[in-house]
Amino acid sequence: MSTTLRRVPGLAFLDRVSEVRVDGSGVRARSRQEAVLDVHFDGRRIVSFWLHRDGVKDGNGWLFAWPKTLREFLDGIADVRVVVTRTGEEVFRGEVRFGSGRGRVEVLNQHGQPISLDKYQRRVVAFDTRSGEELEPMLDAIDEVLAALKDVGIEAFLAYGTLLGAVRGGKVIGNDSDADVGYVSHLTHPVDVIRESFRVQRALIAHGYRITRYSALAFKVDVEEADGTIRGLDVFGGFLMDGRLYLMGEIGDRFEESWIFPLGTTTLEGRSFPAPADTDRMLSAMYGASWRVPDPAFHFDPPTTTVRRLNGWFRGLRVGRARWDRIYSRVLKGMPAPSPFVEWVGSIEGALGTFVDVGCGRGADALYMSERGEPALGLDFQPRSFAEAARRSEDNHLVTYWTMNLLEIRQVLVVGAILARRPGRTVVAARHVVDATKGPARDRLWRLCRMVLQGEDGGRLYLEFLSRSGSDGYAGQHRVRPRKPGRIVAELEQWGATVVHRETMPVSDRPGASTVCRLIVEWRGEDG
Amino acid sequence: MADKRAGGLTERLRSTRAGEALDLRRRVRRLEAEVQECRALNIRLAELTDIVTELLLPVAARDEEKLAELLEKYRQSV
Repeated sequence: MSTTLRRVPGLAFLDRVSEVRVDGSGVRARSRQEAVLDVHFDGRRIVSFWLHRDGVKDGNGWLFAWPKTLREFLDGIADVRVVVTRTGEEVFRGEVRFGSGRGRVEVLNQHGQPISLDKYQRRVVAFDTRSGEELEPMLDAIDEVLAALKDVGIEAFLAYGTLLGAVRGGKVIGNDSDADVGYVSHLTHPVDVIRESFRVQRALIAHGYRITRYSALAFKVDVEEADGTIRGLDVFGGFLMDGRLYLMGEIGDRFEESWIFPLGTTTLEGRSFPAPADTDRMLSAMYGASWRVPDPAFHFDPPTTTVRRLNGWFRGLRVGRARWDRIYSRVLKGMPAPSPFVEWVGSIEGALGTFVDVGCGRGADALYMSERGEPALGLDFQPRSFAEAARRSEDNHLVTYWTMNLLEIRQVLVVGAILARRPGRTVVAARHVVDATKGPARDRLWRLCRMVLQGEDGGRLYLEFLSRSGSDGYAGQHRVRPRKPGRIVAELEQWGATVVHRETMPVSDRPGASTVCRLIVEWRGEDG
Repeated sequence: MADKRAGGLTERLRSTRAGEALDLRRRVRRLEAEVQECRALNIRLAELTDIVTELLLPVAARDEEKLAELLEKYRQSV
């Protein structure tokens, strides 16, 4: 047997998994060869893993420790089965008691829906918990997005897990939880396919869809289902260049146009959908030659050259977005009081044309300024952050909140152009922005400020950032890293700004308090 | 003088096979970083072209009302 074949997990006669034990710490097993295992609780698949890749050496065998995302549910009793994915062979079955709970282990989300872990150990509502009827709205959504794309000249097809399920068995994959579509552009240069992606985004927004961009060549389309549920469908763009297919987010393989066009069809849950002309070749590019062998724990592992190309051409627009999304959905909730910083700004400034809060977070400071009678605008790259403030201020016409990502130049330039045209004095405030971002995002901030503040009405930038981290946990609470004031001042001066006030101060009277730096900055003259 | 000696030693170390390998590794790392920098220009160029083509012509038309409307429409579309 060749080495390559031996490495393919799941080949039946090599999956000799033995001495399987399950307890509160995880699953222990012996297997000379790599094996893919599914763990079921009370008859429902909860997690799948590769024993060697995802486990750690434990005596003569391996231990797959329960992922952090599962641990909080492990309290009570469950009928646990461990099954070899490929063969269905049951290698463990028994009642296992976790923690001190007396009830059954229930792995449910906040809405009471059964959840499981996906290949990246994230919690998802997988298709295997849904009836055929419940899948209909998703199939409708795929149809709708494919039709909307066709309207704007894009021939899209089922991609990744959705294509895999359709071609392998005409059904969605049980452990999958979302739907993917892809397209291959007729253009052949990264710049052109990015511009096309922007055009498609614009057209879909004009059709009324909400779009969240993942990269310069992939985005999510939110589709509202009949019951009001919002479903996100991922649209992965691709193109052919120099005999290779590059498809977000994982492919960079030798490919021919005739393997894609003219598109064929495939059947998913009894409905017909477009598919690449040669689904075998496309799935091999996506999942490798063994795509026919089910592997719920599959990880994409494209070669470094592909990753570097896709990263270099298309990525870098959403740095930190997933993290801040988690923070705003789980940690930072409710409306905080206005910051001492904005009270300080308010004590100096008044009668403004516009107060702009860049990185406004939950929006309390913009709200505060609007309540003082100043027209205020909160900007944040995470729309979830200011959703509550926007809702509360529906009747307050003095405050607005817009999404703006400093890493997307188009957004920065158009916001800058709009603000530069507004009459009156503009004050830009950025609290804990320069200490939560890196150079590229800060450059965009300085560009925005220069556009907005160098006009005849003057205006100022007020900054507050962590300059020294103490022992008070302030940096962690605010999720920032200290920045040297001298460095920030130097950056500003390079952008033609003049720092008119600079002070550092402790954030509290307590010993070990961190210090923050406050700057007041102006752009004097036209050529700054 | 000391500097010159140190420089000579560095040169001698560089000319050994191990030194050459290290030097090449360093140069490849730098080249890789520079290639990535160049690739990143694709997004920037596409973004700038997009904003110019969508906004510049109407700006040149100097129709204030249309321009304000267009800026707002563009903002909502990006």
